[in-house]
Amino acid sequence: MILRIFVSYACWFLVVTMLFAGAPADPGPVPSLQLSFTHLMGQQPLVRKAVTYTNASGETFTISRFRYFLSNFSLEAVNGNVVTLPPAYFLVDDAIDSSKNIRLDSIPAGEYKSIRFLIGVDSIRNVSGAQSGALAVESGMFWTWNSGYIMAQIEGHSAAVNTPMQEFLFHCGGYKTKDGVLKYVTLPLPQPLTIAAGKQPRINLTADVEKWFLPDTVSFKKITVIMAPGVKARQVAGNYQHMFNITGISN
Amino acid sequence: MLALVQAGAKKRAVKGPEPFLLQLPAHFPRPVYDFTRNPLTKPGVALGRFMFYDYRLSQDSTVSCGFCHQQFAAFGHFDHALAHGVAGQQGIRSVPVLFNMIWQRAFMWDGGVNHLEIQALTPLTDHNEMAVDLKELIQKMRTDSQYKSMFKAAFGTEEITSERMFKAFTQFIATMVSAGSKYDSVMLKVPGVAFTAEENAGYTIFQEKCAACHKEPLFTDLTYRSNGLPYLPALNDIGRMKITGSTDDNLRFKVPSLRNILKSAPYMHDGRFFDIFQVFDFYDHGVKVTPTTDPLVKQGIPLSDQEKRQLYFFLNTLTDYSFLGNASLSEVRIE
Repeated sequence: MILRIFVSYACWFLVVTMLFAGAPADPGPVPSLQLSFTHLMGQQPLVRKAVTYTNASGETFTISRFRYFLSNFSLEAVNGNVVTLPPAYFLVDDAIDSSKNIRLDSIPAGEYKSIRFLIGVDSIRNVSGAQSGALAVESGMFWTWNSGYIMAQIEGHSAAVNTPMQEFLFHCGGYKTKDGVLKYVTLPLPQPLTIAAGKQPRINLTADVEKWFLPDTVSFKKITVIMAPGVKARQVAGNYQHMFNITGISN
Repeated sequence: MLALVQAGAKKRAVKGPEPFLLQLPAHFPRPVYDFTRNPLTKPGVALGRFMFYDYRLSQDSTVSCGFCHQQFAAFGHFDHALAHGVAGQQGIRSVPVLFNMIWQRAFMWDGGVNHLEIQALTPLTDHNEMAVDLKELIQKMRTDSQYKSMFKAAFGTEEITSERMFKAFTQFIATMVSAGSKYDSVMLKVPGVAFTAEENAGYTIFQEKCAACHKEPLFTDLTYRSNGLPYLPALNDIGRMKITGSTDDNLRFKVPSLRNILKSAPYMHDGRFFDIFQVFDFYDHGVKVTPTTDPLVKQGIPLSDQEKRQLYFFLNTLTDYSFLGNASLSEVRIE
């Protein structure tokens, strides 16, 4: 009985609130921004397993896996104001097409001239225990024996690798200052981006795996397996931070 | 009217899972674990306990957490020097005891795991232990009606995720509090409880020679130290250096708690000593000095036969029978 009184009061309260607030104008879809990634090897689309490539050290190789985390997005407005977007974490996997289209929500309307994001997962989420969504550890992008996310990863095979499987595994991680591989990327937009109600803007980006091997030349003979934070992971991360490019935007 | 609505909302919130009230020892510091992220509930703790004893969580359904972590051995592995798991695999370290984990900042002998909630990930997936593929395990659990109802009871919906699984594990592990030994009664001045003369003499020796690292009331300062235990090439265990990559950390391991120590043999990170008197002898004359050996043990810790005996009697007061026999932590039958 008492509960019923409460419920009826609650209903009245809602009705009254809505009357006072007035019906909101149709907001359309919440302003959001789509990022679409295309993966490349140099000038060509990346083809896993089937196509043999040659790195800057002249070693031939194939790629079997290419994954990376993106997070901590912000946009710089034309007037110079920086808008930090709500926390969002994405695991982009070349093998999963849907993961290459990501949507950033709750973006204030405005005109923007550049986008900034982190390749990887910020240090706080590396030390905060069990996580969900893209950060759930069953992705395998988390080191179990030395806690921390693998920020970016390529795996493949090369004749230059002197093991039975001829496999190379670059699992780049490390969130502590000394061995940190967290790289922020700032990309200027080719034309101003308009975020407004009812619009569905999109930025097209490329991620080029060839960049993992340069400018600090990586040879599979010298680096075959990276499975811990350290010098090798830092060297490769120093390279791959340059892998992103914006190819176009649509407002 | 607003107040009434809020009161109504509050009334509805009570319908969530029943809270689990964990009694924290008055003479302990504040726990490190942040319970606001994962409040203990009765169904949450029950789910964690059920999973802890469920051997189906291993690759071939032979090994549960409780297989190695035995309650009567303070959740260490009785009589086993090295941890072993599915298909006869063996690791390179002994099974750590499990109690008072909510006061720890990092886990494993080398401190490589940085949060209690993801601690279970390591033994679950390690090829020498339960060797399971976490993605496959979660899919398997999602088809189990009992797990679906237990997750619903603990978290409100039937959804089974790794985050929920780890949080439920943590809830159960959090209830493993050991603070009810004779030592604790003496410290809390419980009427009628006092050390015997030998225990008291042992306590004095402990305070003089052991307490700098095995700090009260947890009986560990949770630091990583090299105690001069001779390196074994067959195991090639470099300790914390594997985690930090720093040669300063070579052969360093976490200082273990001395609580329940007489019930949790074998000793050391590789379980090489089966008797506490071997440990006393090691500190007395077995320390092998390396560049990282802790200054406190470089000269050894001289212990006479009488002191060893007294120390033994003191360590005996650290056995917490209320914990070792706590029915709410015991094995549950998995049908």
